[in-house]
Amino acid sequence: MANRSLAILGLFAEFLACASEHRTNLVTAILAEDPAQQLEIIRKLADTSDPIVPQVLAAWRGGTIYIFETNDAKVPFYLDAQLDSDGKAKGIRVIDGEPLFEGDKPMLFLASDLNSADTSSKLRKGIKTTLDLFAIGNPDPKIRRDAVIKLGQEQNPENISYFESRLQREKTGELRKTLVEAIATTQIASEDAAIRFAAIERLREMRSINALSFLEQLHKDAKAAPAKFGEPTVDATRQAIKEIEAYIARGNLVGTAFRGLSLAAVLLVAALGLAITFGLMGVINMAHGELIMVGAYTAYVVQNIFKDAFGAAGTGFDSYFIAALACSFVSAGLVGLVLERGIIRFLYRRPLESLLATWGVSLVLQQVFRHTFGAANVQVSSPSWLSGSFVLQDVLFAYNRIFVIGFAVFIVLLTYWLLTRTPLGLQIRAVMQNRSMASALGVRTDRVNMITFAFGSGLAGMAGACLSQIGNVGPSLGQNYIVDCFMVVVLGGVGNLVGTVSASFGIGVTDQILQPWLGAVLGKITVLAAIILFLQWRPAGLFVTRTRGLEG
Amino acid sequence: MTPAFPKREVWWIAIAAFIGIVLLPCLNAFVPAASFFHVSNFSINIYGKYLCYAVLALSVNLLWGYTGLLSLGQALFFALGGYALGMHLLLLIGQLGQYKADIPDFMVFLEFAKRFPETGGLPPHWIPFKNFWFAAAAVVWVPAVVAFIFGWLAFRSRIKGVYFSILSQALTYAACLMFFRNDFTFGGNNGLTDFKFILGADVNSPVTKRWLYVASAILLLLAYLVCRWLTTTKFGLIQRAIRDSENRVLFSGYSTASFKLFVFVLSAIIAALGGALYVPQVGIINPSEMAPDKSLEAVVWCAVGGRGSLVGPILGAVSVNALKSYATRAFAEQWLYILGGLFIVVVVFMPKGLVGLPEQLAGLKSRFCRRKCAASAPETPTATLKPVVRE
Repeated sequence: MANRSLAILGLFAEFLACASEHRTNLVTAILAEDPAQQLEIIRKLADTSDPIVPQVLAAWRGGTIYIFETNDAKVPFYLDAQLDSDGKAKGIRVIDGEPLFEGDKPMLFLASDLNSADTSSKLRKGIKTTLDLFAIGNPDPKIRRDAVIKLGQEQNPENISYFESRLQREKTGELRKTLVEAIATTQIASEDAAIRFAAIERLREMRSINALSFLEQLHKDAKAAPAKFGEPTVDATRQAIKEIEAYIARGNLVGTAFRGLSLAAVLLVAALGLAITFGLMGVINMAHGELIMVGAYTAYVVQNIFKDAFGAAGTGFDSYFIAALACSFVSAGLVGLVLERGIIRFLYRRPLESLLATWGVSLVLQQVFRHTFGAANVQVSSPSWLSGSFVLQDVLFAYNRIFVIGFAVFIVLLTYWLLTRTPLGLQIRAVMQNRSMASALGVRTDRVNMITFAFGSGLAGMAGACLSQIGNVGPSLGQNYIVDCFMVVVLGGVGNLVGTVSASFGIGVTDQILQPWLGAVLGKITVLAAIILFLQWRPAGLFVTRTRGLEG
Repeated sequence: MTPAFPKREVWWIAIAAFIGIVLLPCLNAFVPAASFFHVSNFSINIYGKYLCYAVLALSVNLLWGYTGLLSLGQALFFALGGYALGMHLLLLIGQLGQYKADIPDFMVFLEFAKRFPETGGLPPHWIPFKNFWFAAAAVVWVPAVVAFIFGWLAFRSRIKGVYFSILSQALTYAACLMFFRNDFTFGGNNGLTDFKFILGADVNSPVTKRWLYVASAILLLLAYLVCRWLTTTKFGLIQRAIRDSENRVLFSGYSTASFKLFVFVLSAIIAALGGALYVPQVGIINPSEMAPDKSLEAVVWCAVGGRGSLVGPILGAVSVNALKSYATRAFAEQWLYILGGLFIVVVVFMPKGLVGLPEQLAGLKSRFCRRKCAASAPETPTATLKPVVRE
């Protein structure tokens, strides 16, 4: 026991000694008269790992290191973060981190009264580099990575030794790769043809997107002065640029495909409920968007309940989303049930009127939610298993997007199963195909209508809970989806799921393909125009349910 | 066929027109402000706005009430008419704008000078709008062309019923998104505003406002007479036949698509004219005017007043908007409840609107009476033989 505490004490003493050495160096650098000497010391400081160094350097660069001059000495200091009521703060000495004392009272300073230690732009640049070098030793891998990329782009050969020493310590593949990339990027500016050539080859193999602009520059220079750079450099850079560009194109393709698929899934999730209420039942439910909103707000409420019960993190809180999906199905289903019993059942024979009445309902619902939850968007936080993403081939795959795709598949299968494999589904299809015959055979059509509408509304609610993970939840949420939802159902052809699935897929992918060229809004307009033109060719949508009825 | 205009109706129209076109403006202009009969400048401006809305409602009714086409894009044509005249009015501002430049303000801060250097920043398609008559013609032909193209595409492929509604809504939604874009050269989401002159007169002076009101009233009268006349013609008959059973008309050898196209274009023009008079009276036109909600609102006016009658939409537009003006001032929060509730109640319980209300009440009364009489009188055998009418 005693041994151990002794050992700790020893370590501590060593640490102190070390720390004081860095502090001394810092003070020397700040007080040195010769800029070259200052730069040299600063450069050396990059080898240390003491957190005081970047702190003081950053302060120096930002002009918040001050010098306290006495008759015989100059003492650099910075101000304590804690201000008193007059806005004054204690002066903390750089040399030992202790406050400046006058007698036995700490001295207080006002920042605006003080003159900061001199810096030149060259010096500030030197400090910046050191700070970046420091950042490659930062415990946060993300900061480390960004610093390495930035330093690599400086193409300063002096940095290579830092990269290499870091490379020996670095364990994760991602960062090693970034370091190798930075070394290679630095080396393509090398005078030595062999090193340069090897670096170009390495970047080509790595398909480094970060180095592309440097390679292009080098290619241009080499082409302008082949005598200086030599033919192999020109060829190698051309080849490297070609391969990297092909890689980017592939990545873009994968990215577009993924984004298209995820938008398609969003549309499908949002429109599936409508495919039931409008597609199967023929009710123009303009309040469909608001049923989605009901689901989203239910998710918000469930989230708050779980937050109160389990705190804002942990497994308890993370499982809220499962409960939210179920609750939003029930709540939106109930709203749908009331809607059907209260209004829609009077209007089955008057589809245009049901459009108007449900629009009235949508206005009322919007206002209800605006009253209850306020006009601003509410914050629905994702459970930890839905936030974050992974990167593959330089394409970002977000977990919540992947979840939406999976969820879309799930509810389509669920709906398909319900409609084709259960007695209820059989009744639903019977009523939709021939109401009077179904009624004559003893199906309680009224009840089937009610259940079908409630089910469709419930699906809309689940969609709302799902969409709360990827978009804003506010009183106008429903309005954002309603036109798209109708487009999906109309394009897909009324009354079948295959049509809805393929229409949402078509719209989603087309939209994402058009977006890079036309921008979000123009892309959307083009898609709308394309749908109108497409209906020229197939007025009843992609998949037509054939009937013998004249009015179809 | 009924005679074109029964005498009684002519009298009613004449009285309404006299009150609307002559009496109210005179009360505004010549009666001293202290008098009970004085109509304030503010009121006359508001009434002018209502009358423009009434024109829009008439155009919705022509489509929905008489042809069975529920267009949810009628506000688009209203706004297009407004934009056409608004462009002219904006160019009339000249150098009196915020930036004291030759071109309208929004073109200055969007740096159109870089995009259209050869015209000093004015987009080429704006230039003809310096001429009032060109702008006035554009009020008619621009919406007409848009309506023709969309209608031709829609009716040719026999898109009807709710599909037509949904597509027309998509059309206005797409146009709305388009006009919200700054680089679409129509002022982006700020729209066109800050007008100063119209035909050489100050657009904000009470006198101009009064004349604009008179113009709106005359426009409404003309639109009413055109629609009314149309109902007396054979064309109007076919129009209503299409509403009631399109397939029968089709099988009788009529090209229903051409009829519908004509009505669609005509109603677009009527709506656009209303929009053109609306803009100088409210002093602004922006893309939210063509948002899908606005079209739906116009449909509510029509439904509340009573579709399928000509007075209904006018009554509906004026009363709903008067209610809106009152409600948004008195209890702004509840306005959407009222509007939504109105929608539901009217659609579910009053399919014929305000105009049909007396008839509906009379029906209720007679049914109530009959039940009472039936209870007191002995049941007759004929009553049991009555055919069952399914609702």
